[in-house]
Amino acid sequence: MTMDLSRLARLAALAAALLATIAASVPPAGAQEKPRPGGILTWFDYGDPGRLDVHAESPLVVQQATAGIYSGLLQYDPDEPSKIIGDLAERWTVSADGKTYTFHLRKGVKWHDGQPFSSADVKASFDRMLNPDFKSPKCGASLKPMVASVEAVDPNTVEFRLKFAAAPFLPSIASAWCRVAAKHVLAKYGDLNAPEAQIGTGPFKFKKYERGSVIEWEKNPGYFVPGLPYLDGVKQFILVSGPTQLAAAKASKIMLWDAWPPMRKTQADELGRARTDVDIYQAPINTVFFLYLNAKKPPFDNPDMRRAVNLAIDRQELVAKSLEGAGVPCAILDPKLVGDFALPLDEVAKAPGCRQPKDADIAEAKKLVEKHYPGGLDVEVAVRQVGNYVDRGQLVIAQLRKIGIRGTMKTHESAAGYAAFGKGDFTIIATQDRSMDVNEPSGVFHIAYTSQSGSNYGQYSDPKVDELTDRALKETNHDKRKQAYWELQRYLLSKGDHASIAVGWVEGWFFKDKKLRNYKPGLTTYDNNTFMKVWIAQ
Amino acid sequence: MTGALGRFLRGQPLGAAGAVVVLVLVAVALLAPLLAPHGPKETGFATYVAPSREFPMGTDQVGRDVLSRVIWGARLSLYVGLVSVVFGITLGALWGVVTGYVGGAADTGSQRVVDCLMALPPIILALSLMAALGQSVNNVILALVILLTPTAARTLRAVALGVVANPFIEAAEAAGASRTRIIVRHLVPNCLASYIVLVTTNISYAIVVEASLSFIGAGAPPDEPSWGGMLAQGIQALETAPWMVFFPGLAISLAVFGLNLLGDSIRDLTDPRLRGGLG
Repeated sequence: MTMDLSRLARLAALAAALLATIAASVPPAGAQEKPRPGGILTWFDYGDPGRLDVHAESPLVVQQATAGIYSGLLQYDPDEPSKIIGDLAERWTVSADGKTYTFHLRKGVKWHDGQPFSSADVKASFDRMLNPDFKSPKCGASLKPMVASVEAVDPNTVEFRLKFAAAPFLPSIASAWCRVAAKHVLAKYGDLNAPEAQIGTGPFKFKKYERGSVIEWEKNPGYFVPGLPYLDGVKQFILVSGPTQLAAAKASKIMLWDAWPPMRKTQADELGRARTDVDIYQAPINTVFFLYLNAKKPPFDNPDMRRAVNLAIDRQELVAKSLEGAGVPCAILDPKLVGDFALPLDEVAKAPGCRQPKDADIAEAKKLVEKHYPGGLDVEVAVRQVGNYVDRGQLVIAQLRKIGIRGTMKTHESAAGYAAFGKGDFTIIATQDRSMDVNEPSGVFHIAYTSQSGSNYGQYSDPKVDELTDRALKETNHDKRKQAYWELQRYLLSKGDHASIAVGWVEGWFFKDKKLRNYKPGLTTYDNNTFMKVWIAQ
Repeated sequence: MTGALGRFLRGQPLGAAGAVVVLVLVAVALLAPLLAPHGPKETGFATYVAPSREFPMGTDQVGRDVLSRVIWGARLSLYVGLVSVVFGITLGALWGVVTGYVGGAADTGSQRVVDCLMALPPIILALSLMAALGQSVNNVILALVILLTPTAARTLRAVALGVVANPFIEAAEAAGASRTRIIVRHLVPNCLASYIVLVTTNISYAIVVEASLSFIGAGAPPDEPSWGGMLAQGIQALETAPWMVFFPGLAISLAVFGLNLLGDSIRDLTDPRLRGGLG
C-alpha cells in the first residue's frame, strides 16, 4: 500500500490549515469571553430542607434552597467576594456617630408576583427578624445585639438605628441570611416555609420543590439588574449520603461542589481520576466543627464533667482522621479567615484539651469522671446523618471511652436532628458544623458561645463570655478589639467548661466544572449562591 | 455417634462443608475477645492502611482494624441470627401448632393476621419497625422476630394439620387427653423436625436482613461491628480502600453459604422423600 507524495503533501497542507482554523477560533488565554445566556446549572443540597423560611431557619440547605430567590439590602460582590455592594439598596450613608445607617432603595423593583417593592417590605422583614419573640438564629441573632429600630422614612428610604457604633453591622446586613421578604407574602402565609411563599425579588423564581429529590429555580425575566441572570435556571439535587454525592459528581450530574460538606482528600482524588473537565481546589469553608454538651441535664450540668470532655477530646485526631488533615484543630477563630483577631495557633496548641501528647489531660479527665461517677457512665451520643458525621461520632465515642464515658450513638435524619437539638433533646452532640454568617470575628461567639446564641445548643450561659463578646462587638478600634477577642478566646480555652467545644475549623476540597464561568466562591459558605452572574460556556 | 457422623459426612458432603463453616463461625464468635488483635471500636491506628502483616485486613476510615471488626462482627451476626430465629420461629411455631389444632374461628382469624403480616414486603416492614423502635441491636432482633413469626406460624400450622390427621391423635382424644397434653405430648414432638429445619434455614436469612438494615443505616448503631454496617462505611471509600468492603462482604457470603448448606442438609435428612440424596 503506497501513497504518492503529492497526495501526502495535500493532506499535510489540509491538516495544517485545519489546525490554523481551530487555533484562530480559540480565544487566547485571558481574553474576555462574552457571557453566553442559557443553560441549567446543577449542584446539590446535602439534605432536604423541609422548611424554607430563610428568616427563621439556620441549616445551609435552607439558604441554598432559597438563595437565588431573594435579594438583600446589601450583598457580597459576586465578582469580588470580600467587597460589600448594594443589592436592593442603591447606596447608603452613615451618620457621624456611626449609629444611624440610611439605605436608599432601588426604584421600580417588583416581586416575582408582580407587586411593587418598597421600604415597607424592608421594615416588615427586619422587624420580623428583630422581634425578641421570634427565633431568627442567623440574621436576627447577629443583628439583635446591634439594632435598636428600623424605620421606613419614605417608600424608597430605610433607616437603621443602632444601639452603638458596631463594626459588624454592614457585614451582617450583607449576609445571605438577611434577605428581604415581601410584606404581603408574610401577611398572607404567616411565614416563609411553603414553596408558594417563595416570592422574592432575586434573579431566579422558585419553580419546584420535590421533597427529598430536587429543588429548581427558573430565570426571573423581570430581575432588576438588566441582562441578568444568564442562566435559564438552577437545579439542586437533594443528595444526602456521601457516596451518592460523589457518584453524582463522578457521573457529571453536578457541575459544582462548593458547599458543605466539602470533599475529603480521598474523594477529591477519586473525582480527579474520574473527571478531567473539572477544576478541583482546596479551601477553608468558614465553618467550625463543634461538639456540644447539654448543660441543662445531667451529667453535663456539672462543670467538672464538661471539663472532663473538653480535656479528653483529641481535636488533632478528629481533624486528622475525619477531615483527612484539612482543618485547623482547637482554634476558636481561624487566622486564615479573620487574621490577627485569632489567638496565635501556637498559644492555642498549649491550651488544656489541645496540648499534645494527651496523656496528662486524659488522666485528669478520668479523675474528674471518677469523682462523680466511680464506675463510669453511659450516655447517648447524637449525630445528624449528614456528611461524615457518623464517622466523627465514632471517633468521639472512642475518645470518651478512654475516660470512662461509654457512648451509644443515636443518629437523626437531618431536619429531625435540628429539631431535637433546638429543643435540648440530647446529652452530647458529637459533631455539628456551624458555618459563619459573616467573615467577622464576632460571628462564632454570637453563633455558639453567648447565652442568646442561635446554635448554643448546650444552653450554657456564662455572663463573662456575654460581657466580653459584647465589649469586643462595640469596640471600633482594631487593636483594642483584637485584645478583647484574645481575652475572650483565652478565657474560653483556659476555663474549659463551656458546653460548646470547638474541635477545629473545617477545610476541604471542592470542584467546579471547567465550563462554568464567573463563579467565585464566597467568603462564607452562604454567600454568592445566587448565581446571578454565572454562565455556562459551550 | 462416630458412625452417625461418618454417615452424615458420606451422605451429605456439602452439608458437612457447611457444618465446618458454621463451626468456624461459632468458634470465631465465641472466641472473639481472644482472636481479635484489637478492640472492635479502637480507633488509635492510621486510616486506610492497606492489608499488611500488622493489619491483615487493613484499617478503616477512622483507623480501626478491619480484622478485629470482622471477628467481632461474627459474634454480632450470630447473636442476632440465633436469638431472633429461636424466638421468632418458636413463637410462630407455637402459634401455628396451637391454632392449627384448635381450628375454627381462632385458626381462621389468626391465619388472616398471618396473611396481613406476610403481605408486607419483609425489608419494608423491618425498616418501618426500626424507624419506630430506634437503632439498636436488640431492636433489630425484635424486628426480625416480628418478620419471622408469621412465616413460622404458617409453615408449622400446615405440619400440625398433617399430624392432627393421624389416628393416634384421635386415639388420644378418645382416651380423654386434654388439649394441652395432646399439643405438648403429641403435636410438638412430631413438628420438631420441621421446626429445626426452619431454625437452621432462617439463621442465614436473619443475618442477611441484619446486614441489609445496617447497610442502609437502619440496623445496628454505626459504631457496632456489624458486617452490613462495615459494608456501608466501606462503600464511601470503595476506590481508596476496597478491603473495607471485601472482607466483611466475604464474611457475610461465607456465613450465609455455610448456614444454607447445613440447613439444606438437615432438611434433606429429615425429609424421607429426599433422604439418601447427594446433599
